[in-house]
Amino acid sequence: MIRVVVIGYGPVAARFVEGMLDSVRAGEVALAVLGAEQADVYNRVLVAEYAVGRADRDTLDIGDTAAARAAGVDVRLGEAATGIDRERRRVRTSTGSHLPYDRLVLATGARANVPTLAGLERSRRHRLARPHDPADLDRGARPLPRGVVTLRDLTDAELVADAVRDRRRIVVLGAGVLGMEFALAAAERGARVVVVHHGPSPMARNLDVAGGRTLALAASAAGVEMVAHSRAEGILTRTDDAGRAHFDALLCADGKQVHGDLLLLSAGAAPRVELAADAGLVVSTGVVVDEHLRSWTDPHVFAIGDCAQVATPGSAAPDGRVPGASAGLIGPGWRQADALVELLRAEAAGRSATLAPPAERPTVVMLKAEGVDVCAGGVVDADPWDADPQGHSCGRAWQVTVWADPARGGYVKLVTRGGVLEGFVCVGMPRTAAELTLLFERGSELPADRTALLRLDSTDALVAPASDPFAPDATVCWCNGVTAGRITEAIDAGDDTVACVGRSTRAGTGCGGCKGRIAELLARAGKGETVSAG
Amino acid sequence: MTRSSHCPYCALQCAMSLTPAGARIEVAGRDFPTNRGGLCKKGWTSAEVLDTTDRVTRPLRRVDGGFEEVSWAEALDDIARRLRDIRSSHGADAVGVFGGGGLTNEKAYQLGKFARIALGTSRIDYNGRFCMSSAAAAGNRAFGVDRGLPFPVEDLDDARTILLLGSNVAATMPPFIGHLAGARAAGGLVVVDPRRSETARLTEDGGGIHVQPAPGTDLVVLLGLTHVVLAEGLADSAYLAERTVGLDELRREVNRWWPERVQEVTGVPAAQLRQVARRLAEGRAFILTGRGVEQHVDGTDTATAAINLALVLGLPGRVEGGRAVSGYGTLTGQGNGQGGREHGQKADQLPGYRKITDPAAREHVASVWGVPPESIPGPGVPAVELLGMLGREVKALLVHGSNVVVSAPDAAAVTRALDELDLLVVCDFVPSETALLADYILPVTQWAEEEGTMTSLEGRVLRRRRAIDPPAEARSELWVMRELARRLDAPGTWSTDAAEVFDELARASAGGIADYSGLSHARLDEGVAAFWPYPAGSAGTPRLFEDRFAHPDGLARLVAVIPRLREPGAQRGGELTLVTGRLLEHYQSGAQTRRVPELVTARPEAALQIHPATASRLGIASGDLVEITSPRGVTRARAEVTSGIRHDTVFLPFHFPGAERANTLTEAAVDPVSAMPEFKRTLVSVARVEEVPA
Repeated sequence: MIRVVVIGYGPVAARFVEGMLDSVRAGEVALAVLGAEQADVYNRVLVAEYAVGRADRDTLDIGDTAAARAAGVDVRLGEAATGIDRERRRVRTSTGSHLPYDRLVLATGARANVPTLAGLERSRRHRLARPHDPADLDRGARPLPRGVVTLRDLTDAELVADAVRDRRRIVVLGAGVLGMEFALAAAERGARVVVVHHGPSPMARNLDVAGGRTLALAASAAGVEMVAHSRAEGILTRTDDAGRAHFDALLCADGKQVHGDLLLLSAGAAPRVELAADAGLVVSTGVVVDEHLRSWTDPHVFAIGDCAQVATPGSAAPDGRVPGASAGLIGPGWRQADALVELLRAEAAGRSATLAPPAERPTVVMLKAEGVDVCAGGVVDADPWDADPQGHSCGRAWQVTVWADPARGGYVKLVTRGGVLEGFVCVGMPRTAAELTLLFERGSELPADRTALLRLDSTDALVAPASDPFAPDATVCWCNGVTAGRITEAIDAGDDTVACVGRSTRAGTGCGGCKGRIAELLARAGKGETVSAG
Repeated sequence: MTRSSHCPYCALQCAMSLTPAGARIEVAGRDFPTNRGGLCKKGWTSAEVLDTTDRVTRPLRRVDGGFEEVSWAEALDDIARRLRDIRSSHGADAVGVFGGGGLTNEKAYQLGKFARIALGTSRIDYNGRFCMSSAAAAGNRAFGVDRGLPFPVEDLDDARTILLLGSNVAATMPPFIGHLAGARAAGGLVVVDPRRSETARLTEDGGGIHVQPAPGTDLVVLLGLTHVVLAEGLADSAYLAERTVGLDELRREVNRWWPERVQEVTGVPAAQLRQVARRLAEGRAFILTGRGVEQHVDGTDTATAAINLALVLGLPGRVEGGRAVSGYGTLTGQGNGQGGREHGQKADQLPGYRKITDPAAREHVASVWGVPPESIPGPGVPAVELLGMLGREVKALLVHGSNVVVSAPDAAAVTRALDELDLLVVCDFVPSETALLADYILPVTQWAEEEGTMTSLEGRVLRRRRAIDPPAEARSELWVMRELARRLDAPGTWSTDAAEVFDELARASAGGIADYSGLSHARLDEGVAAFWPYPAGSAGTPRLFEDRFAHPDGLARLVAVIPRLREPGAQRGGELTLVTGRLLEHYQSGAQTRRVPELVTARPEAALQIHPATASRLGIASGDLVEITSPRGVTRARAEVTSGIRHDTVFLPFHFPGAERANTLTEAAVDPVSAMPEFKRTLVSVARVEEVPA
């Protein structure tokens, strides 16, 4: 039997635990899980939806702790790991106990970044500060001032939910995916929202400028105030009735003050690496692991999900920096969990793993917002005229296709190599976006005629070319495959009622749904009659 | 004299009147709740098959280069002798039986009994394994019973929303679309199909919504819809609490499938999923599935996901004013696809939808058959596995009402395997592609030449009546089985009178799930609307689940299903996904409809539907001859360029044999629960063929 300890109990850890249950039941694996939060595992992807009241709490449930415990997993909620002793292969926890392991899985996730702003200096947690208390895992030396939140966990969500429900004015700092999703959802729910961000356009990490500007237009139309080109420098507070400092305004470098009741910090997230660093494991942006998710430093330690940084051993730059970063998305995290399950189960059963490690590939970012469709992935900043439209490099060069229609809110950019998407941006064209997502995810080749994709959102999409229902070759009676032309022939040959036409052509003698159109053809031929029902 | 009967083709079993006119009969539509007097093109022309020029009218024996006519006595004596020999050298299980979903209840019942007690073999299965087994498995595990539609078809008339997944009823059972009119008028027909099929086009002009996922991703679409229903508080909590178990596990599973993630896998826009889920929650909604979502290696799970969605919305078993106002159903395909799966043709089943492994069921059925329970063999193997045994474990095969050379997956391999048999006997009325490989072709009666019953897609038992005498030496399979049973010294009684066989079936089914014990031909001739279960003394069950589901505790099971996330294959270098299906003009393997001049004129050959962008890339124009290639073989067809299909998908009808056979390309991969083959997701390449002028 091998002993496995998992640090962290988020969605990725939960999936790992679920995958291991058969081995636990079979007595091949002893599994213990440490979850710092008291709450059972939940889906962080939907926390923003929960905060604005679009999803209820049940929707966030994602793992079955009861089933895991019934199978024999030692699930410890509200208990944090405080240290890893790699010599003796054991984890120390906040209750003072020690969990021995043969294999250690780090699934510590990431914490929301607190930007460097005057007024928040001491609220920022140092990335290597060691944890002691499960409740203080992400806290800086001082708590965030009242009225300032991140949106990462359920506690945050409940604070935000109050502000949304009361239709307060909410300032969102940062226009990344989460910031924009929240802003749009909160506006839809009636809150007044202003988004403050750097640079000319939102979602700059995911979208090119034109795509971002199309999004900004859509967001403004949806009632979100967008404040671009603004570098935040600090916050101003006011003192509430109880004498406590409360957020009042965001102060920008150009002197602008953006007032609001709540400041939501949406400045990305950073992997929780302090335990790994403290234990002497190689850490860069995240815990550095190879493509099998094994630590570069210690073959007994693995990392999955937001805390993991997958890189080929030996790829570090001279300054020690390691390429790549965690995608920060759930899909890749779950794929990693599945791969590690396969690896450890095989090990426990004494066979070799059959599942190849998950290929690291660019993922699609999709804005979860109603009425504002934004989808993007991969390389997006290529320019149509930088590419090689003549294909002199034998199909290996980029080709870039752009469709921009800001007045109607549509924008598409396709970046392909050898006919396969290397990246794309799609705004305001949901059907095209869905198709591009699928093509990108699968790595499939695009139709050579790229406009076939754009037309998915056109009003005539998929309507048969012969749209005149009375054209001679248009089918009138589906049940019997009778065309308008055949019916007209019958009418010309003397049929003067729907029933007569039915007898000679069988039109209208199936489900009867076309009798009206047969009558119309009779009427056009000057042989009108009233069709009886049925 | 005009006789009332029903159409020989699909499971809608449109009512017909058959009027003798000289040596032929005339067919006309007859008023009935399902078809309301209408017939489709196939039904109107169905009498053509009765006297088709190559009708088999005398027993035929294979000789070098063809067949010779022999007497029945000679044929049956030789078949019986060879069956005995094979049994004594290789054991009883060396004889296989392959049945069909078009056989009457009486024949299907008798065939199951014949296999078990005359041949003593466990190895019987049937072509229904290719169509209904996944939905059946899903229905059984969720509801404890599998009746395709647990309500009469006309209850659909008042629907506000109908979610139709993977079914092209406008082509396959056209008179059915009359029952979609209400939902279309309400803008609520939602068709899920990768193709802009005839049925999908019924959503045009405000009729509803066409959802067009990538082939093979329907399960994830359904998980996404269920996710939205639960996330947005649209579920029927009271119903879930009172009538179901398993919600917690289901919720956790579907919680993983928020709409944006579903979009990544399926290509269905997140907003469209939300729109459909909300529409379904507005009440008076029905969810119907067809082969398009079921004929996959995850078909049982997909049908289960559709049932889960229906249960979460509280649809099944809601009856108001004597009508079902919402529900779930699967649209059975073959004429007696429902009855055919109830009375013992399935490898693991005894009459009345009983399990062959259940000692009480064996005892009951053995007593009706007049044999000791232990003489009934145990479960056999499902169709694809059975076909895989030909020439090896199985040395002889009897085929009834099936044309596996055209209809089975990886049909070329099946054709080769049939050649390896020591004995192949095919009962058919035309020389089908399978019959042409037989050692004996035995001529049997057609629908208008025989008495019997069929059970329609709504679980209603219908009378098939004889209107004309069979030609020359054609005989009912009931007679064939009696004659063989006699020659094999089989125990039991072997009536050739369909009414008597029905009475025996009714007794055998008594107390089973599909209980017919209150029915007889005489009772049916009184015109009762006979929906099963119809135990003796009852008036049948038009609507199931009003008070309880069929599990012992009366509750429905929500079964959490997990999509096997096969890494979606990149389609490059012209690789396309092939889906197969049916056309208006033809039925199943085409053995019947390809003999009707009017239908052949309308659809003489296979056409491959392909998207214009894909066609232009491959240098293909409409009407070009193309070759479709998979690892299993090559098929030819004419290209039909249409924007009604996804650019990465092509469609080929499976009605055609030989060089045009779609199932040359499909793979014999099966669903782990139902053993249903994967017919709808085959990777192929397509190329234009230079035609050399003759």
